[in-house]
Amino acid sequence: MNIKIRNTLAEITGASVAMIWMWYNLTEASIMTIESVSKVLAQGIGISIIVIIALTIVINIFSSIVTGNYEKNIEDERDKLYELYALQLSSAIFGISIVIILVLLGWFNLTINTGLIAITFSGFIASIASLFLKMYLYK
Amino acid sequence: MAKKKINIENSVRKLRFNNNEMTQQELADLVGISRQTVVAIEKYKYTPSLELAYKIALAFNKEIQEVFYIN
Repeated sequence: MNIKIRNTLAEITGASVAMIWMWYNLTEASIMTIESVSKVLAQGIGISIIVIIALTIVINIFSSIVTGNYEKNIEDERDKLYELYALQLSSAIFGISIVIILVLLGWFNLTINTGLIAITFSGFIASIASLFLKMYLYK
Repeated sequence: MAKKKINIENSVRKLRFNNNEMTQQELADLVGISRQTVVAIEKYKYTPSLELAYKIALAFNKEIQEVFYIN
């Protein structure tokens, strides 16, 4: 497993952990105030960033110990191209999700809390999908 | 005119061995790319940009068409 796949895997894990954490903290979202829902969502985004950084460091240290050599993460034109493919996919998923969420909000007369949660989760799902695409391309 | 897919192949692997058995990492450092990209180019999984193709050809002191060609 090379450094690109390792780092992408760390990002997927970080985003997934944050999503699960938010899910368990939003079980009573229907009776929560918009401030408390926003707080949980903001904390979730923060958790994902912290977990990604921590996992990237830990996985790379562990890999260096196991393999016995330090692998530098050099960014080149191939990385930029794959990054662009991933961005295209995440933008498409997020864009479509927002339209669907807005339509559903109006259709079923849902609360603003539901919309806020759905938009944040769709962002995470779009991000995870794009990371899986990156992993497939690097494989 | 009908669209026809062009398969661009290369002789990077052969040229590396002809150049004192240059490693993938050495070539990567020489042209400023990652070793994974060298692997992808050698396996024809990734076609480099014109700029990178020239850099690779220059690393072997060859003309670009001697390194990259249409099959």
